[in-house]
Amino acid sequence: MTIFHRLRFRWRALVGRRRLEEEMREELARHLEQAVARQIERGLAPQAARRAARLEFGSPDVVAEECRESWGVRLVDELRGDLRLGLRSLRRSPGYALAVVSTLGLGIGANTAVFSVVRGVLLRPLPYDGGERLVALRQSAPQLGATDLGFSVLELDDYRRQLERVEAVVEYHSMNFTLLGGDEPLRVQTGVVSANYFDMLGVEPLLGRTFLPDEDELGAEAVLVLSHRFWRAAYGGDPTVVGRHFQMNDRPHTVVGVLPPLPSYPDANDVYMPASACPFRSDPDSLARREARAVTAFAKLAPGATLAQATSEANGLLARLRAEFAAAYPQTETIGIELSPVGDEMTRGARRTFLLLLATVGLILLVACANVANLALARLSDRGHELALRTALGGGRRRLLRQLVTESTLLAFLGGVLGLLLAWAARGLLVSFAARFSVRAEEIAIDATVFAFTFVVAAVTGLVFGSLPGLPGTDAPARALMAEGARSTGTRHRRRLRQSLVVGQLALSFVLLVVASLALRSLWRLNGVDAGFESENVLTAQIHLNWSTYTLDAHRLDRERVAAFHDRLATELRAVPGVVEVGNAWTFPLNAGFANSGQFEIEGRTSEERAPMVATQIGASRAYFEAVGVPLLRGDGFRGDERGEEPRVTLVNREFARRYFPNEDPLGERISGNGGRSWRTIIGIVGDVRQSDLREEAEPTTYLPFTEFPGFSSSIFVRTLGEPLLLERELRRRVLVADAQAAISGVETLEQVRSAALAPTALVTRLLALFAGVALFISATGLGGVLAYSVAQRTREIGVRMALGADPRRVLGEIVGEGLRTTVVGLALGLVAALAVARLMTGLLYGVSPADLVCLVASAATLLATSFVACLLPGRRALAVEPMHALRV
Amino acid sequence: MIDSRSDLLPGTLDLLVLRTLQSGPRHGWAISQRIEQLSDAVLVVTQGSLYPALYRLEEQGLIEAEWGSSENNRRAKYYRLTRAGRKRLANETENWERLSAAVARVLAAT
Repeated sequence: MTIFHRLRFRWRALVGRRRLEEEMREELARHLEQAVARQIERGLAPQAARRAARLEFGSPDVVAEECRESWGVRLVDELRGDLRLGLRSLRRSPGYALAVVSTLGLGIGANTAVFSVVRGVLLRPLPYDGGERLVALRQSAPQLGATDLGFSVLELDDYRRQLERVEAVVEYHSMNFTLLGGDEPLRVQTGVVSANYFDMLGVEPLLGRTFLPDEDELGAEAVLVLSHRFWRAAYGGDPTVVGRHFQMNDRPHTVVGVLPPLPSYPDANDVYMPASACPFRSDPDSLARREARAVTAFAKLAPGATLAQATSEANGLLARLRAEFAAAYPQTETIGIELSPVGDEMTRGARRTFLLLLATVGLILLVACANVANLALARLSDRGHELALRTALGGGRRRLLRQLVTESTLLAFLGGVLGLLLAWAARGLLVSFAARFSVRAEEIAIDATVFAFTFVVAAVTGLVFGSLPGLPGTDAPARALMAEGARSTGTRHRRRLRQSLVVGQLALSFVLLVVASLALRSLWRLNGVDAGFESENVLTAQIHLNWSTYTLDAHRLDRERVAAFHDRLATELRAVPGVVEVGNAWTFPLNAGFANSGQFEIEGRTSEERAPMVATQIGASRAYFEAVGVPLLRGDGFRGDERGEEPRVTLVNREFARRYFPNEDPLGERISGNGGRSWRTIIGIVGDVRQSDLREEAEPTTYLPFTEFPGFSSSIFVRTLGEPLLLERELRRRVLVADAQAAISGVETLEQVRSAALAPTALVTRLLALFAGVALFISATGLGGVLAYSVAQRTREIGVRMALGADPRRVLGEIVGEGLRTTVVGLALGLVAALAVARLMTGLLYGVSPADLVCLVASAATLLATSFVACLLPGRRALAVEPMHALRV
Repeated sequence: MIDSRSDLLPGTLDLLVLRTLQSGPRHGWAISQRIEQLSDAVLVVTQGSLYPALYRLEEQGLIEAEWGSSENNRRAKYYRLTRAGRKRLANETENWERLSAAVARVLAAT
């Protein structure tokens, strides 16, 4: 209770200050009046009575001051004074204030910005109910190179029923369908999910509802839920879309709900449908065959269950299933199920990059802090008189220090405000930047946590740069008042401190230079990678046919008609002026989303020598290879009219030949991908193409004739004579003419595909280079400042030496030498730190070792050259010293 | 005459102030007069020590203040003991009595 009372009293003392003050004055005056009255009673004349009372009770001002002290708010009072004084003294030197606030503003702003990204993407809990318990299930066979086999519907049933460490299991896969009923056919990426999918995620719809339990059942009416993004983009956020009917796969689909904004995970789906509505998923074959693995599984751990427990339970069940249904599992020793937290899945690849950037901007802030501390030290020398005077008048050392820290904190907070404004202004950029690394980018916001972060950073910054000048050895303000000669003791300490600050700056800049140069070199390496195709002058797009118009029965694609469509389209496009060749394939190069690998065997090899063999499978047309610029190295290409008749043929890439036929000629050999039921003859070898990632060497690949296996959703490639994008309209028009229900998406040039694959690396590299440049610039000004100061100190000495005929070059050499010595010390310290920091980058680099000598040398050269330039300016000022002028100073 | 500013043991003035308030609310002047009167003018409480003491006690929650009108119908600030103040007074009185008895015994012995 007393604590509460005290706080209330202090609150009153702080807030109702004026009233309290007035009341005290009145009370004291009243007291004095009564004292006077008593003296008069005792017989004194009024004048004498007042005098006597005054004498007896002392000065009202002193009493008032003592009363104030007992209010317990003296510290706050002094702080107010310090702040007022600080503001006044900063207003007197606006240049200094501006330099400090803008330097710190940039430093803090960069930290706020990067932190807001880290917070939004890495730290914030997933926007799902119990998001930390959500896991992705991955069934893999490492020996076969299959990282994700997927699950079959039968398997998922077993996992859903028999696992106890997980609360729920949902199935998921994503397909492209054509949505009819709007203005034009829309290709929609459709998430096909079990009905409990959104319940497990704990997602409440924005409008309408999500799926009901019985909508999983075969034959249930087809319903759709729209993603927030698609709803806004395609229907302008119209709420009446709920209840509307659309035609999809020859069935009416009713929109029953709209989702709130969510991360585009697992895919950027436009709409969601229950599993029963998907023609592939409800195909009797998919439902009945245990080995028809086509869906992905997610699960939610039971409360209290650990990841390890659930993983071992799932693998136990897998072992039982393998024992029971041996034929349904690939023939390999190791099949396992991995459970991976969804939060990690979403930020895969982003974590390292963002943490590196956070560390980088942290270093920049340190460099900025050192610079500002240096400025503050220089200013302290100028303020020597003021501080000495205050010391002489009884200002305690701690009190003065507090004044300095108050001033620096004030500046740091102004810098923090500037930083917040900068980060806020850049938030759009931040989101689009982060979107290249993680689906959670939309969650980036300058929120309360980011505010608090900035506040703390600013406070620490203010403390650090404010108390540095007050370190022991610099407390010579009193001496500053004394004779000129006495000043040097204090300043020598101060100079040493300033020099160490500069050494620190240079060391940190070197670290940043090394980091940036490693990233740059790695980008060059990546840019120079031969991905195996000629990206110039090729237009590509995805064409999605309406599934239901190309089916034999409800579940089987009419390959003849799909192939005929593509044949017709390609023939027509070839007739367009400027078109060189037109090809088709299941996928396009550098498509990170494509994965289709399967096991196969080679005819005539005994099982002993048959190590598990896996290859990526791609359907490609005869003209694909020429259109994309993949060379036919040996043998023949496809004829272009293969329809599955014997002899069936296949092409393989060079990596396939190298790995599986190291000492033989693969041409004419036969392979089978279906356990020997049918065989394909290898008729040609083509060049390697990096199919999914610029960083990854080409996998062994087999190509199947596109005419035999056309895709109802596939890529088209148009090689042109001139600018490919000029043909975009023509391409779209021809596709619609060929089939009014065909949808087209992802129209871009192969150049664009390639640069998109480079973009994240290029962006990060550019940022790192920018950061290194900023740090280098700040450090150079710091070094220049310290040298300029030392030249100013030695004006007289230099003047005398010049008057006595010293060689100006030698004087210049001395100054520059001093600067370069400082730089070399910084460089040596930086080298140690750089080697440690660079090792953290290992996973981010491509084709460059973290201790790359070229990078180290280039960084050192850059640092030395910059320092040299920074030294020349003060050096030339030293040479310009007029001897007579110097002597008169 | 003992000056409250320098000659009193620390804490004694607080005790005296609390004691004078035991019989009811008083304003500052009346407190000083009462102490002077009860001590037969041996203890003189100057305003320089009285008011800081009053603010200190108020801040500690031992007394509370309220504006009222004085005998001659002027505005005056009246101080009153709080419950915590009463408890403190009882404690401090006991302490003081023990202390003074002890001091007296020591003095008597020599």
